[in-house]
Amino acid sequence: MSSAPRLDRHRVPLRAFAIILLVLVAIAWPALVGDAFYQRVGALVVLAAISASAWNLIGGYAGQVSVGHAIFFGAGAYASLVVYTQLGWPPVAGAPLGILVSLALAIVIGTPTFRLRGHYFSMATIAAAELIRLLVANWPLVGAAVGLMGPAAPRSVADLTFRDPLAYYYIFLAVLALLLALTAAMERSRMGYYLRAINGGDRAASSLGVPVLRYKLYALMLSAAFTSIAGSLYAVMVGFADPDSVLGILISVKIVIVAALGGAGTLFGPLLGALILVPLEEWTNAAFGGSGTGVTYVVYGAIILLIARFEPGGLLDLVGKLTRRRHAA
Amino acid sequence: MLLEATGVVQTFGRLRAVDGADLAVSEGEVIGLIGPNGAGKSTFFNALAGDRIPTAGRITFDGHDVTRASPDRHARLGIARTFQVPVTFTDMTVAENVLVGAFLRQPHRAAASAVVDEMLEFTGLAPMAHRRAGMLGTPGRKRLEIARALATKPRLLLLDEALAGLTPAEVQAAIGLVRRIHALGITLIIVEHIMEVILTLAERAVVFHQGRVIAAGPPRQVVNDPAVVAAYLGHRMAARMQA
Amino acid sequence: MILAQVIVSGLLLGAVYSLFSSGLTLIWGMMNVVNFAHGDFVMLAMYVAFFAWTQGHWGPAISVPLAAVTLALLGLAVYFGLIRAVMRGPMLAQILSTFGLALLLRYSAFWAFSANFVTLPDTLVGGTLEIGGLRLQASRVLAGVVALALALGMHLMLTRTMIGARMLAVAEDRAAAMLVGIRPDPMQALAWGLGAASTGIAGALIALFYYIAPTVGESLTLIAFVVVCLGGFGSVPGALIAGLLVGVVESVSAYWFGPVYQDAVVYALFLLVLWVRPQGLLGTV
Repeated sequence: MSSAPRLDRHRVPLRAFAIILLVLVAIAWPALVGDAFYQRVGALVVLAAISASAWNLIGGYAGQVSVGHAIFFGAGAYASLVVYTQLGWPPVAGAPLGILVSLALAIVIGTPTFRLRGHYFSMATIAAAELIRLLVANWPLVGAAVGLMGPAAPRSVADLTFRDPLAYYYIFLAVLALLLALTAAMERSRMGYYLRAINGGDRAASSLGVPVLRYKLYALMLSAAFTSIAGSLYAVMVGFADPDSVLGILISVKIVIVAALGGAGTLFGPLLGALILVPLEEWTNAAFGGSGTGVTYVVYGAIILLIARFEPGGLLDLVGKLTRRRHAA
Repeated sequence: MLLEATGVVQTFGRLRAVDGADLAVSEGEVIGLIGPNGAGKSTFFNALAGDRIPTAGRITFDGHDVTRASPDRHARLGIARTFQVPVTFTDMTVAENVLVGAFLRQPHRAAASAVVDEMLEFTGLAPMAHRRAGMLGTPGRKRLEIARALATKPRLLLLDEALAGLTPAEVQAAIGLVRRIHALGITLIIVEHIMEVILTLAERAVVFHQGRVIAAGPPRQVVNDPAVVAAYLGHRMAARMQA
Repeated sequence: MILAQVIVSGLLLGAVYSLFSSGLTLIWGMMNVVNFAHGDFVMLAMYVAFFAWTQGHWGPAISVPLAAVTLALLGLAVYFGLIRAVMRGPMLAQILSTFGLALLLRYSAFWAFSANFVTLPDTLVGGTLEIGGLRLQASRVLAGVVALALALGMHLMLTRTMIGARMLAVAEDRAAAMLVGIRPDPMQALAWGLGAASTGIAGALIALFYYIAPTVGESLTLIAFVVVCLGGFGSVPGALIAGLLVGVVESVSAYWFGPVYQDAVVYALFLLVLWVRPQGLLGTV
């Protein structure tokens, strides 16, 4: 009897069908909706899914809870706009710089804390994010509190300044597809199992030969790199970044809630979370205007609390439990 | 000499849990570590497993100095251990738990899966391969601990009270499993309270008391040693038994 | 002389940091749970003190005990409703639970009290004291002295009383404590209550000389984290010393680099401590 996970005979075609349907809808989405507003929402959903799926690598699979992921998002966003304002390059060329900075930050934050109990890492992420935000907010080179802007009018295609969201949507979708494919491959590989073992217990994992510190760092670095890419993509689309919009704690909160609501540690959980929360936020902003934003974070806080208390595995885990119960019945 | 521990000392603040313990184990032996509660055998065991760095002393395995080596280095060198309270990866299936161990020697999934199948058959867990490990009861989890550790292809297996809390029938089954592990050529160091297990399985028993080894030798001989009786029952009781 | 004043001023605020951070480290040591909402508890206590003044013209003699009790009750509610359920579970649930609570409290405060900050009048505990050639705000001196006394009191309670011994036993080895007949649940609830009460007292004291706003919790939580890590995991005397140190570092940084950078220096110190001496001053990791 093979030890490869034997999927229930009913569920294999269903799962494959669902994924194919998802891919088709994703590709056809802009054509399906036609309206630029909804296309833009689509782009934002995909962007949120990228950030949350990146967080998922370290926070979901490995169980090391970062509540300061804005630091990597902001690094990517600022790197893109800095190379434009300082060197005149197309913003997207700044993405590799953002990745390098993020990798360095990941090493600085992870190396001392991954040897210690999990709380230290979480505390360090929040402190590091705040530290960077304060420094950036006072550094004229990166625009201090005012922030940086991207090209107002496109100088060439490389600037990626498109008037309608269609192109952004497909670029973001390609990046998300790449990230999810990488995650799926990792899930089935030794790294995936080692990360989940680390989540299950450092001490036990170590006794089985898992180099715990090294793998935690790998996961964090991969996570940081993709979150940085998301930040760069954001800067390219929005054309603006300031300390609050890309380095603030609310960015970290959004990343975490999107991943956790859908299902941390699952492949499609973050995407599901994005599909629910991004349109919801856009809708409440449109319906309630500015006064809505304060309440939004009260609601986010409540949602995070409820997920933690009752369903840490998120919606996908809940669905999984319900279907298992139905099959057993 | 496969494993050699000399002068191991482990202090916690002012408490000397292990106060100069020696142990020499040849390949293929089955050693039982026994002693009353608080005698230091578990602490010593953890030092051997690399879970704690001893305050003083030296431990070598197959010529390598492992005194300060990490647990994962221990595993790579061929020392595996189980935990007294099984640390099961509850969100993974039984097979996936064992897979984690198998990946140590087989980086690629297909080969690792083959090892998993082997270990599941060997430990009798094959029927439960795709159950969530969290659903197993204690005996199943203890068996899984062993299967997982075996998947790392160890030369030395450290069993930490693997038979505690089992029913008499389960104990017999477990003894059978341990014998089959030994038959594979794996050296065993077993910490155990159940005397029957030590008497049945161990070739040599090492008795700990107050952080030191007070007796070592064939189990039947050791349990009659007056010093050992005194350690377990107190001097007055021992004296009464002598008289 | 100004530097001496800056240092003493920092020590006084640092004493208040010591107080609420002791509460945090007590909780962490006992239950292996870090309260990400700790600073927001302090923020709520500040508002309790504020409303004690605006509604009843009550000063610290009333507002401090009032805030202590209010926050203790909140703490117990959080323990029984939330913490007990998540503390034995996955790390994700543990961390997100108090993190979510922090957001809930902070943005509820935003919604209820608006983003504007308020202050208690200077006259409440007014004037400046001249001590040894230094001119110090009376309110700060009061806050610092009371906080230090209570933080010391907490340490003495833990080390010299029977109930303190029970709490420390649960902190050190829960299973062993149960074996000798100590029930962990009431001890843990007590720790939460005390931890929350410490935030209540600290908040009511800080409110005497600090601005009161919903955002205060964010930086106070981080300060508490720095103090408990610098002091050492679970060490109340460590938090005591570390709190004073952090207060001085903050104060001197504000003086040398300007108030904008004072927080940055503290957070940078935090990361440095993690690299160089993660067990802190008096802790084991």
